[in-house]
Amino acid sequence: MKFLPYILKHLRRSWVRTASTVLAMSVCIFLFCTLRTFVEAVTWNLQSAKSSLLVSRHAVSLVFNLPLAYKERIAALPGVRGVAATNWFGGTRRPNDFKDFFPNFAVQVEDYLPMHPEFILPEDQRRAFLEDRRGCIVGRRTAERFGWKIGDTFQLESFIPPYRIGKPFEFVVRGIFDTDLARFPGTDTTAMFFQWKYLYEATGQRIGVGTYVTEIADPSQATAISRAIDGLFDNSDAQTKTETEAAFRAGFVSLAGNLALLLNGIALAVMFTILLVTANTMSMATRERRTEIAVLKTLGFSSGRVMGLILAESAFLGACGGAVGILLGSVMIRALPSLPIIGDAVRGFPNLGLSAMIAALGFGAALLLGLLAGFVPSVLAYRSRITDMLRQV
Amino acid sequence: MAMVELQQVRRVYRRDTQEITVLDGIDLSVPEGEFVALMGPSGSGKTTLLNLIAGIDRPTSGSVRVAGTDVAQLSESALARWRSRSIGFIFQFYNLIPVLTAVENVELPLLLTRLSRKDRRERAVTALKVVKLADRASHYPRQLSGGQEQRVAIARAIVADPKVLVADEPTGDLDARSAEEILALMETLNREFHKTIVMVTHDPRASQRAHTQKHLDKGVLREGA
Repeated sequence: MKFLPYILKHLRRSWVRTASTVLAMSVCIFLFCTLRTFVEAVTWNLQSAKSSLLVSRHAVSLVFNLPLAYKERIAALPGVRGVAATNWFGGTRRPNDFKDFFPNFAVQVEDYLPMHPEFILPEDQRRAFLEDRRGCIVGRRTAERFGWKIGDTFQLESFIPPYRIGKPFEFVVRGIFDTDLARFPGTDTTAMFFQWKYLYEATGQRIGVGTYVTEIADPSQATAISRAIDGLFDNSDAQTKTETEAAFRAGFVSLAGNLALLLNGIALAVMFTILLVTANTMSMATRERRTEIAVLKTLGFSSGRVMGLILAESAFLGACGGAVGILLGSVMIRALPSLPIIGDAVRGFPNLGLSAMIAALGFGAALLLGLLAGFVPSVLAYRSRITDMLRQV
Repeated sequence: MAMVELQQVRRVYRRDTQEITVLDGIDLSVPEGEFVALMGPSGSGKTTLLNLIAGIDRPTSGSVRVAGTDVAQLSESALARWRSRSIGFIFQFYNLIPVLTAVENVELPLLLTRLSRKDRRERAVTALKVVKLADRASHYPRQLSGGQEQRVAIARAIVADPKVLVADEPTGDLDARSAEEILALMETLNREFHKTIVMVTHDPRASQRAHTQKHLDKGVLREGA
């Protein structure tokens, strides 16, 4: 610590260079944090996918529904505990206005809720939901977002043609569910669920089932049972594609391409550039101070200590850049949902926020970049001879 | 007892395949409390000899004993520790750290000790008082004259209370009046603080202040009056 004032004074000597290096580093860490947060948000609810749940959809595309009759046949397979029909409703509060969007599903509640203990709902609210055809349950975050309380009513209109009936669907909030993220990490509390029968009847009993969620007794049998389900409908008009819930959700993420690879690639490229910029700064700073390094060594500073001082200076630059970058990232991530265009895209993410883990990773990366940038100049200072450095003055 | 004892010291530099003998069989003995001036033309090996005594260079052969330590036998880190305790170095161009104030420059060698921040500062101020610059403690080198900068450099050299002071042309970059002040200060350090001083100089007036003068010529030491 007694060398800290010495390090700070050196950084202040060329404050424009120091400030621009810190700024460059902070932009790098800001991008790293923002991109990592985005990847985490996209893949967040993969964590809550259960290996005991299988999802069957139309083999051609999710756009096509499956016949209702499939449920009984799937349920009859050995090893199957339960089957629930679910349909992605795609409802918005105002037609085609996605500013207030939140995920909403029609589900066969009696079968679906027992498969999902992560949705924690008081018993009286569960009963009220089951008894009300127009009833729905909403996650805590969505309820808080719109100020909804038990008994409140609201309307949604779907953008999916078969679910458009010329007027909005009306719902009554019968329950607000929470979760325990320690036990059920990745659980989405922005979602809303309502009775599948309500959708079925309101659309004139013309719709099919978007996906069947199947609970199996033994997760190690997931592949065999998936094959068995698909085998049941091999010769039908509506063949199925069955996979684990994790694979099903990962398929959605991959629709946007290999997002993680792309974003990580961008972050890595930026980091490498900043490494070169910071290394250049440190090299210049060290070259300018050859005489001072010689003087320090003459005064009795060991080569290791001189190397340590340069590395500490470099790491300090990294730490400052990291701290500013994390701050910028935190502000930007908070502001993202309110931005035009991009806000619409990210508002639906259930867990958009700079996590402590990503912030720590960002800070660690900044420190590492700082140390790497200072490595070569510090080694040169370590190896340099006093007499050579004094002679070059 | 000799404070500085050199026996058959040779220093040879290699430039590609060529060998250049800078010092050739130097024998030198400087008693404790002595003030020695090393003189000689450019390229005669004065600074090289001074660097060997200060432990910032190593001889090719021969032995260099300073303050009872065989300098050539120490490892790099042990040599650095030894320098911090035993040697005060005064450069021709002062070589103060420009971003540090006078008192911070003087305090620099004490960062290597276990002294508290308060004690370090007290000692640095005391050293500045010795060189009569306590009132300029908070000034940066750019705010001082050449003579004042050299006095700060001398304060830095003596702050850790080393046994030996080595000075490489300490008046070489100063006007006559400032040079006189510096030489008077060095005399005081030798006389009142009993520092052994080895000074390289071109200036005959400066050498007159020393007790003895030694002349180097083409790497060979000759006694001089």
